[in-house]
Amino acid sequence: MKARFAFCLLPLLAACGQSQSALHPAGEEAARIHLLSLTLFGGAAIILLLVALAAWLAIRGPEGARTVLRAPRMVVLAGIAVPVVTLSALLTYGLWVMAKSSAPGGAPAARIVVTAEQWWWRVSYARADGAAVESANEIRIPVGREVELELHSGDVIHSFWVPALAGKLDMIPGRTHRLRLSAARPGIYRGQCAEYCGGAHAWMAFEVIAMPGAEFAAWLAAAAMPAPAAAGRGAALFQATGCGACHRIAGTAATGTIGPDLTRVGARRFIGAAMLPQTPENLSRFIADAQHFKPGAGMPPFGFLADADLAALSAYLSGLR
Amino acid sequence: MGEARRPLIAVALAGALLGSGLLLVAVTGAYNIAASEGHWRITEILLRFGLERSVSVRANETPPRLDDPDLIRLGAGHFHAACAPCHGAPGTPVPAFVGGMLPTPPDLRTRVDAWSDAELFRIIRHGIKYTGMPAWPSRGTEREIWAVTAFVRHMHRLDAAAYQALARGGATMSAADGTASGSGRNLPDGVAACAHCHGAQGQQPSSALVPTLYGQPEAMLRAALRSYAQRTRPSGVMQVAVDGLSPRQLDQLAAYYAAIAPPVPQPPTPDQMPLVEAGRVLAEHGDAAARIPACLSCHGPQALPLYPRLAGQSARYLEGRLDGWRHGAQARGDALDRVMAPIARRLSEEQARALAAFFAQQAPHAAQARADGL
Repeated sequence: MKARFAFCLLPLLAACGQSQSALHPAGEEAARIHLLSLTLFGGAAIILLLVALAAWLAIRGPEGARTVLRAPRMVVLAGIAVPVVTLSALLTYGLWVMAKSSAPGGAPAARIVVTAEQWWWRVSYARADGAAVESANEIRIPVGREVELELHSGDVIHSFWVPALAGKLDMIPGRTHRLRLSAARPGIYRGQCAEYCGGAHAWMAFEVIAMPGAEFAAWLAAAAMPAPAAAGRGAALFQATGCGACHRIAGTAATGTIGPDLTRVGARRFIGAAMLPQTPENLSRFIADAQHFKPGAGMPPFGFLADADLAALSAYLSGLR
Repeated sequence: MGEARRPLIAVALAGALLGSGLLLVAVTGAYNIAASEGHWRITEILLRFGLERSVSVRANETPPRLDDPDLIRLGAGHFHAACAPCHGAPGTPVPAFVGGMLPTPPDLRTRVDAWSDAELFRIIRHGIKYTGMPAWPSRGTEREIWAVTAFVRHMHRLDAAAYQALARGGATMSAADGTASGSGRNLPDGVAACAHCHGAQGQQPSSALVPTLYGQPEAMLRAALRSYAQRTRPSGVMQVAVDGLSPRQLDQLAAYYAAIAPPVPQPPTPDQMPLVEAGRVLAEHGDAAARIPACLSCHGPQALPLYPRLAGQSARYLEGRLDGWRHGAQARGDALDRVMAPIARRLSEEQARALAAFFAQQAPHAAQARADGL
């Protein structure tokens, strides 16, 4: 019996990691939501205790207490007045938190356009000179500075949620949503699509990497350069196999925009929208049969390529840093 | 209670008696299954009636235009290879060994009038149990089956010479070709069979529904022939055509067709130009919003030798291929079908027509057969 009870608690352990936890806020907005949640849960616990106590007194308590509880005055006071006051206070507090979150502060340190697609995230950094740096499934931000995310959907309703940094925001097709967030300390924060969006919805994750401001600026400047020229067999195969029809590698003939941008794919930690660790082996497996990992995704299976060709392709991609 | 149950018991008893009677007939071998014995007249009539009703009730497909010459010529080639051995053909009587079958395969010239187009289609597609008439070997290839239906309808008008010309597609094999194919040096052994439909020595294919193979990358032709032989790529016609060819012969065939220069297509007529232009834009740039990649990134001269080149291919053939994927089931075909099918499904009818028109008039790239270097 005890074992079964412990087993039921196992799913709770999933929340113990800190990279995707609303209980370990690492940003201003997440901290406000965290405080709001604690207030809510704390207040609810107190109210529950009081109601339980009143119920116990009404059944088992001394005659005096029962008389008080029975009085019409008690119904008016505890049944109408107290909820009105409590809920009004909570609403005011909630509205204040929301207003604070959506209030445009000063100019953001960076503007990043994130477009959700089935089932990955298109990421585009707007640079000061008007040029854009394309990436996917990984969002880099400077630490301690407010960043503005412009959220779009390319197909169906998705929802953007990095629990450690901010509340979730739905992405409705045809609309532009804006989300301000900041990370208080450097680190990697995992996010996920939080609105069911089709078969591989559960595999639609991403990471926000918060790095010191100077490092971020240097990274963005480097990312704006075209990919390092590679003239190996992998690069030739990438073009001949037609990968460039859907994927872009800046500075090469590959200009496709249907799938994720691969200009710096070798520098990303994961492939397949934070699904598989980025290793040459996993790249080969994903190219050969993406449908095995993400049924229904747009990536066709290239299992007809020889193992050596797959290895050459993934070596080329891993080298794009 | 007992009164009410009596009829039930009687039915059960009768059923048991009938069942054990049938079992007894089977166990003792009393029924003579020999084809030489024939049927009683009454059995014959009942079987025939049941067969006709079963086909007629289930025949519900709408036929395309069956007087289409391309459809008839494609059907003729396959009829000659797969149907004539049992049913005979104009100038070729039903062979003697077939006369011993029960039922005897009918001479189609006299019998097809009794069936509607949809009924013929149904019989060719699904075959008939216990008669020796096989079902079509491959699923999802309706157009091929309509081609044979169209030819069978057309056949009664042909004499022996006209039949030969149609079924062999006018392909001529010289004596020298025969010697060369015997030695395996020049024309490979199987090319005579291919030439009926695909042509040889630079002749055009017999039908616009048949692809031109000249100048295609050798690796692509080899892979296609292998997947027909392994029956992963759907085509009743091609699976039958490659049956019995050795891997060496398949490789020779691929090399033979790859080495011949592709023909230069006719320039488009002015009224085709808008469609061709729409096709060109789509082929070169794709349509990112509809998630359609640019066709030429895989079908251009620089692509993998495993991919087919489409320049100069017949528009009707291309439309037919796209149509097969657009309306086909999800998990059908070989490795390359699995890449192409989802893309083809995103094309509209109009886009598919435009692409076919564009590629049909495009001049084949001089270097397209040399891409094997990769």
